[in-house]
Amino acid sequence: MKRMRLLALFAVLALVFAACTTGGDDDPGTTVASDTTQVDPGGEGDNGDGDGASGAILDAVLDRGSVRCGVNDVLPGFGTVDEAGDYAGFDIDFCRAVAAGVLGDPDAVEFVPLTADARFTALQGGEIDVLIRNTTWTATRDGQEGATFLKTIFFDGQGMMVPASTGFTELEDLADATICVLSGTTTELNLTAVFNARGIPFNPSVFADNEQLQPAYESGQCEAWTSDASQLASGKASIEEAGGEEQFIMAEIFSKEPLGPAVPDGDAAWAQAVEWSVMAPIQAWEFGLTAADVGSYDGEDPNVLNFVGADGFDPGLGLSPDMNVTIVEAVGNYQEIFERHIVPIGLQLEGSPNDLWSNGGIMYVPPYR
Amino acid sequence: MTSQQSDSRVRPPFWRDARVLRVVGQVIAVVVVFLLLRWLFANLVDNSRRTGISLDFGFLNRPTQFQIPNHDEFDPRSPVWQMVLVGVKNTLLASVFGVILAAVVGLVVGIARLSKNWLAAKLAAAYVEFFRNIPPLVIIVFFAFAVFLYGPLPNLRESIEIGFPGTDHNVFVLSLEQWGMPSLADAGNLAAFGLFLAFGLVIAVLVWRWRTRVNDQTGAPHHRVLWALGVLAVLLLVGYVVLGEPFRITWPTLGENRRRLVDGFAINAGFISVAGALGLYTASHVAEIVRGSILAISTGQSEAANALALNGFQRYRFVILPQALRIALPPLINQCLNLVKNTSLAAAVGYSEITNLTQASIGNGRPAVPSIVILMGVYLSFSLIISFMLNVVNRRMQLAT
Repeated sequence: MKRMRLLALFAVLALVFAACTTGGDDDPGTTVASDTTQVDPGGEGDNGDGDGASGAILDAVLDRGSVRCGVNDVLPGFGTVDEAGDYAGFDIDFCRAVAAGVLGDPDAVEFVPLTADARFTALQGGEIDVLIRNTTWTATRDGQEGATFLKTIFFDGQGMMVPASTGFTELEDLADATICVLSGTTTELNLTAVFNARGIPFNPSVFADNEQLQPAYESGQCEAWTSDASQLASGKASIEEAGGEEQFIMAEIFSKEPLGPAVPDGDAAWAQAVEWSVMAPIQAWEFGLTAADVGSYDGEDPNVLNFVGADGFDPGLGLSPDMNVTIVEAVGNYQEIFERHIVPIGLQLEGSPNDLWSNGGIMYVPPYR
Repeated sequence: MTSQQSDSRVRPPFWRDARVLRVVGQVIAVVVVFLLLRWLFANLVDNSRRTGISLDFGFLNRPTQFQIPNHDEFDPRSPVWQMVLVGVKNTLLASVFGVILAAVVGLVVGIARLSKNWLAAKLAAAYVEFFRNIPPLVIIVFFAFAVFLYGPLPNLRESIEIGFPGTDHNVFVLSLEQWGMPSLADAGNLAAFGLFLAFGLVIAVLVWRWRTRVNDQTGAPHHRVLWALGVLAVLLLVGYVVLGEPFRITWPTLGENRRRLVDGFAINAGFISVAGALGLYTASHVAEIVRGSILAISTGQSEAANALALNGFQRYRFVILPQALRIALPPLINQCLNLVKNTSLAAAVGYSEITNLTQASIGNGRPAVPSIVILMGVYLSFSLIISFMLNVVNRRMQLAT
């Protein structure tokens, strides 16, 4: 009797299975499963800018009336939460720029705080629309993480910080040392690569975020802290302000870390909307426009007139012609954003790679024509 | 009236036949579950194809690319599957130490709770109520921060070295990051000595059985612990001499720049936090199980033991605990499984067990779905193996009825 029942069960399963597999090819309506296995015939699914779903995220954002922006909430200068519970920082302002550009309202942002490990999963899963979280643009992340990186908004590089009292000045001084690093970051991989290439033995001590890493570093659990130079400057400022030991950031920068916004693969319309929104403050800086005077430009420069949307100039990005004015009035130009958030943590704009191309830096955006 | 009569002989139509309905219900349930799983799987495949996320396991053969903390011997160029093995090893290590700690502390606390000594009973009760009512993650983080990060110990460079009297060897090295202790190092024939050890254990078990049989048949004292250990010790000594010093003891020593421990066996703060915290946490549950199982033994047993003039230890060792263990084993299996699964919380304090390494690996660009599938497989096989082994023990210990 029992065996009979088991046999019957297998027979039924086999029938169901057969129905599913054949039904999937001929008649997509037969089962639940086959509805979802329809493959986009363009075959663009692999990496990208497929035309099938283009605009889906942009439409969803417009429908929802807010942009969900993945950010860092524990990195002074780039993204923190203040006493009032409001987000503030360099990356935060660029989220607000996207909201201002796409929706016309810089406050229509839903900030989603993410750890380094969770950020791409959140992006892939559609939990966020755009990731602006001091994230380095790399080939693997473009290729395997389902992310499309856009205009770099901060040129950074990896550095090494030690307590000034140790007197260490170069990486070779750190042979055998324990080094604090964030897990799941390009800095973790780069630390390994650089130290191995130079034959310096070391022991990493990994943490999920800076709030755990910093006390460990201060307690001496690791002798050095490696991260993007901007994060080190921010850590140095916060340690020294709190009355901690004086810190020293080594002169050597041993990696390229271009930080910029990333969006999910496959929606070119959304990618363009985000990209032109984050480029607006940089272009405004180049034109010498600030938050205070962008709305009242009365000059004759046709390029600037295009930029501020005078005479109804519309490049056809599907965004409002006055988006640049809305953005710059909300967050200011790039220099204003930088001075508001990055200068206080001890980094200068002049002479850094983030300076304008016309001033000897590498910050350069395509013309708004 | 007529219908009642016919009911007894004629079968009802199949849609009202309980036997048919039962089978049909089960078939429908199976089909629904199957379709649901198939739909979920198809969703996964479809969405990952759409977003360009890889689902294949080829990444296991590509280099790990990052250095695992406190594993100098690990080459970052070695493939990901070796990283997985390191994680599995560390998970096992923390689990084994945690289980031993939980068993010992739990047994002592559980018995102490039943003690007639007021202080012992209250202290044990306080222990149980304290640890049982705090989530394990909080205890782990407390250990990592209060005991290590902000604790009283110095850094490795200024670590406390406890020397062996009369020599300049260190027995213990205590610091914030790592604790060092003596260990054995291969001096040429360690593997061969391992064979001796295995052989010795088998002989010791046989001797143990023989003494038990002698005791059963003649009533002579068995002294089986002494006999078994004695035979083992003699065999190991012979092996040591025959193989010509197959191993030597290494003492924990600080390297020349005092930045790392060389020689000896080093355990790091993360390991101690995890194994210690989970051991103490699980011990509170074990204590309650022990207490409950002892209370489940009828007082008659205890009184009978008293009447035989057994002392307190003998009463527990020979009368109460063997019977209580039979009751305690199934819930103890659960606690054991919980402890193993809870080691995944170690990710919070940076101990390189399998969850932590999987997270780091995903963060460094390895595909998330296959990585998590491997992680689930690891925990599933741990749990199934443990419950299989303990169920075998449980079956052997059950009363033959």
